[in-house]
Amino acid sequence: MALPGLSLPGLGLSQAQSSAGLYTGSSSLTQESRMEDLAPRTEWRFEVSFQQQYTIRVTSGHAELFGVELAPNQPYTFSGCKAAILTWHGCQLEVSGDAESEYLGQETEYAVEWLNVHGMLETARDDAQMHSSEGGPRVLVVGPDFVGKSSLVRSLAGWAVTYGRTPTIVNLDPREGLLTPPGSFTAVTVGSQLEVENGFGISPISGPTITPVKTPLVYHCPYSAPPEKPDVYKALITRTALSVTNKLEENSGAKQSGLIIDTPGTLNDPKSNYDIITHLVSEFSITLILTLGSERLFNDMNRKFGQQSSEAIPVLRISKPGGAVERDAAFMKQLQNQQIRQYFFGTSKDSLNPHSHTYSFAELNIFRANSPSLAASSSSMDMDASDAPYASHADFERMTPNMEMLGRLVAIKFCSGSETDEFALRDSPVMGFAYVSEVDEAKKRVRFLAPHPQKWGDRAVVWGGWPQAVTDLVGSGTKQY
Amino acid sequence: MSARSPRGSLSGASSAEVGDDFGESLKDLSANNRYEINNLTSIAKEYTEHAQAISKSLENHIKTTAPSRKLPSLYLLDSIVKNVGTPYTVYLGRNLYNIFMDAYTLVDGNTRRNMEGMLKTWKEPVPGSMETRPVFPLETVRPIENALIKARTAALQSSRQGQMQPPPEYRSTPTPPQHNGRYTIPPSHGQGQPYGYGYQEPNAYQQSVPSGFSPASSVQQPHIYTAPTPQPANDVANIKRDVATLISQHQAQFGANPFDAELRKRLEALISLQTILNSQALDANSLKQIRYQISALAAAGAPPRPTPQPSYSTPQQWQSPASIPQPPHLARPPIPYSQPPSAQPQISAPFLDPAALNGLQALLANGQKPGTPQMRAAAPALQNASHTQLNDVQNQTASAPATNAVDLIASLTKNGLLPPPPANSAPQVSAPAPAPQQQSTASLLQSLSSILPPTSQRGTPTLPPAQLANTGKPRIPMNAAALKTFRPELIHTLYDAQPNQCSTCGRRFLATEDGRAKKARHLDWHFRTNQRMADSSISRGAHRDWFFPEIEWIQFVEFDPSTTTAADTNAAAAAKKEKQKQLPQEQFVRAPAGMTKNTCNICFEEMKSTYSEELQDWVFVNAAMVQGGKIVHATCLAEMQKGQQQSQQGGGGSLAAALAAVGSGGGQQRQRSATPDSSLGKRKAEDALAGMGTRMRMD
Ligand SMILES: [Zn+2]
Ligand SMILES: [Zn+2]
Repeated sequence: MALPGLSLPGLGLSQAQSSAGLYTGSSSLTQESRMEDLAPRTEWRFEVSFQQQYTIRVTSGHAELFGVELAPNQPYTFSGCKAAILTWHGCQLEVSGDAESEYLGQETEYAVEWLNVHGMLETARDDAQMHSSEGGPRVLVVGPDFVGKSSLVRSLAGWAVTYGRTPTIVNLDPREGLLTPPGSFTAVTVGSQLEVENGFGISPISGPTITPVKTPLVYHCPYSAPPEKPDVYKALITRTALSVTNKLEENSGAKQSGLIIDTPGTLNDPKSNYDIITHLVSEFSITLILTLGSERLFNDMNRKFGQQSSEAIPVLRISKPGGAVERDAAFMKQLQNQQIRQYFFGTSKDSLNPHSHTYSFAELNIFRANSPSLAASSSSMDMDASDAPYASHADFERMTPNMEMLGRLVAIKFCSGSETDEFALRDSPVMGFAYVSEVDEAKKRVRFLAPHPQKWGDRAVVWGGWPQAVTDLVGSGTKQY
Repeated sequence: MSARSPRGSLSGASSAEVGDDFGESLKDLSANNRYEINNLTSIAKEYTEHAQAISKSLENHIKTTAPSRKLPSLYLLDSIVKNVGTPYTVYLGRNLYNIFMDAYTLVDGNTRRNMEGMLKTWKEPVPGSMETRPVFPLETVRPIENALIKARTAALQSSRQGQMQPPPEYRSTPTPPQHNGRYTIPPSHGQGQPYGYGYQEPNAYQQSVPSGFSPASSVQQPHIYTAPTPQPANDVANIKRDVATLISQHQAQFGANPFDAELRKRLEALISLQTILNSQALDANSLKQIRYQISALAAAGAPPRPTPQPSYSTPQQWQSPASIPQPPHLARPPIPYSQPPSAQPQISAPFLDPAALNGLQALLANGQKPGTPQMRAAAPALQNASHTQLNDVQNQTASAPATNAVDLIASLTKNGLLPPPPANSAPQVSAPAPAPQQQSTASLLQSLSSILPPTSQRGTPTLPPAQLANTGKPRIPMNAAALKTFRPELIHTLYDAQPNQCSTCGRRFLATEDGRAKKARHLDWHFRTNQRMADSSISRGAHRDWFFPEIEWIQFVEFDPSTTTAADTNAAAAAKKEKQKQLPQEQFVRAPAGMTKNTCNICFEEMKSTYSEELQDWVFVNAAMVQGGKIVHATCLAEMQKGQQQSQQGGGGSLAAALAAVGSGGGQQRQRSATPDSSLGKRKAEDALAGMGTRMRMD
């Protein structure tokens, strides 16, 4: 399918999306389906690659996925996903399609704990409703990678919304976006149901959507791991906390519902004496810390913040789900590429048309967010010496566009690029992301793939070491141009 | 044919084709044959995504077919609007006056009487349905009634026939719903559903049944599509409907007099009664007695029906300068959208048997006279009450009714009206306990809390958590010891406590009036969305929007468009308007379901709804909602309020200041903020907003 008015030579950019999340009647018809009976309090675990499609339908009983109930008899299709469908009541599933693995999980004690955490948060929200000055629970979730932190956050959000709450979810993991591409922080107050296949769903678009949109506030975090740039990371945390705190003060329903913060595993850093976690606890006035997976982390958190400490914040050690599995680098890379792709092209259900914008060098205000990983990745490229002052201590540096930006995702900030200071540049939220599809150094112009038909004027455009360059937004290399 | 995707409407056939096919089938509809009417209704249900074409086809058929065939086609119309409901009620409602009157003038007297009987049922909810609104909005039916009255008067027919009110015992409907409630079947169903869902019970219309909301026993009826006939007076559905009517009247009253304790007590009693009716099968004798009591209550204690007040006498809406300091969120009309006063079926004349006034009436014996209209006008409207006042009401109503509800049940039980409720024990925190039974105080509270005047919470107008409070959920302390215990009651709160499920997306709703109204709106929303998604001219070319800047995000009140009421949206819109100083002509009101036209009560000109891309819904533009749910021109309203308007300050100013203050480390609400690492704290206040693209400085 050709993309009208957009040609992106050499990049294989096309609208031929991967069929992730697509339900196609024909494919499921050709695949044999089988029935699986699940006893109460068991779960159906599966791992589906990005190339596979796996469809599940609840034919009787009730089942949920990360806090969102599956509608009876509706097929849900998964791709590029490792998940578990849990049943409290028992159910029968009709399963079809391909998966890398699928099996029945009997150990669901973790889910009992998670649900009890939901009950604790509900108790705290009820209390907040009675004594409205206090506000609801403010929960920080910490732990190493791949222990189910995001699944826990999603479940707690899903149950809260089912219960009529409007919790605010904050994602501080730049490796995996929430309603955004990677490289961002997101805060979103969830006012409508989450989705089975697509979690938090979709941010606002210009047309109708299958499910109600969610409206995020987005900051730019162009580093894969916070320890790379702890000061910038902490400043962004502060800024996010300011906005979130203000929002909760504006809206009593949101305030009573509280907030839940998801974090990257790299915060689990005893060497810095948990510097960033300490900052987080302070900036968001955390009232409950949930640790997953690491006993040492739990002990350290308990000593530092627990009831016996001066902070006196409850610290709970939560079981990781039996189905939590490591997502290897290749999987994460595909996930990141998919998130970038979906930002521009949408999903098969809510498909979007991106737009191509060409800017002359003179019109652009490009800033590079320096970081060790950017320096490392760029040093392997053969760059002009004059263009690579990576030893610079400046966090942000104005630059002339060059080939180094090709294939990168850049953040368009709300702040003006014509006249700015470093703090404003750092703290300004993101208006949108664009993809550098062509840099013509001879003609001194850059072509971008952008989500919106409107150009962004003289706003600051920032990029950094994260996310990494994407050479082929479509992924599988099906070049159509 | 039915290769539709589970969520879209991707049927191969175009609307035009479906409409033509339907028109062809109509040609065979020559007599009052229930099989054929059922059959065609099933098709209409199966193809709701082509409702517009099907409606058009039916409308044309009624217009053009021979007079002898008009009645069967009208019965089909009746069957479709009652069994399928929206969107057919919308499409067929638009031109209902002409459809009806054109036919009426051409048919014989017998047919006319049948049509009159049918018309009356359109003013009432479908019996046994979960929907409490009438089949068609009263605005649609009333002009027809008026025309009939004129016609009959002119013909010097019996003046007694000219009564607009149905006789009290008139309770039946020509087309009882095939399924229990018009919304039980989603417009587009998932894979695996055979074509012709309705064929599953081709011979039996299901009558409304006493046992709550599950489709249960069906009653065989003769094959003739029956004209309206009187039904036994103590039909459960009728009692339920009368209770619902009384409740909505009391609610309206309560909205105007939120501090009237007696009124509240009566409302509570009614709601408990409703819960009992919905949760238990009662024998005929009990029903009869309850019916007497309801009648007595209607006669003795029913508040006067709210009379539509000229809107210029009620300028104290959210546009009011008084609400500026805390602008947006207090504004909620006291009357739930699902039961606007204009849509309330009038309570029928009671079967008053003075000897039968026991139980309920005794409980209500001390009831004081409802407020006079003057009193109500003078009473502080709910939306003008302070936050604290509203909280007080909320707290009182949340804590008080427990005993009253229990008293009522005890009283009814003592009088032999109810079987004794099963003993139920409150769930313990530590030990797994069975979910509370339907008759529990918790569920009474739940149904009560959901229909009481909206909570005072600012923001999140969609689903006040209060409505889910007290559903027997356990209090769990925040400690490790509480973590391991399996608590079925928590699962109950997420599943069974919200038994009313959307079959498209799995979302659940409470089995309360409010829950049903929300679900109805939610299904409408699915339908509209699917329709728009299928319309490639709309969905093609969509693009992602820019994200929000901070101030906008902070002020943005998340709402669920799939369940938001007109009133809620309007409150949110009012909030937005306050902040943006929106011009009156840019204001809008979401059109209530089925309402395509409206007359502005200020200038008396007609207003027509239009489709809003932004809201993905039908709206009245240049419109504002005033007290009582009336929609008027926003410009007219603004004109009227000019004198009262004080200098407005945008809400954004104070918020910007607050943000700046917090940005400078001065915010009080964040006691533990501004750690030494917080570089923001060093910044000047005015720079806090630099990120909005307004002020930049180079170091
Ligand atoms: Zn739904
Ligand atoms: Zn007017």
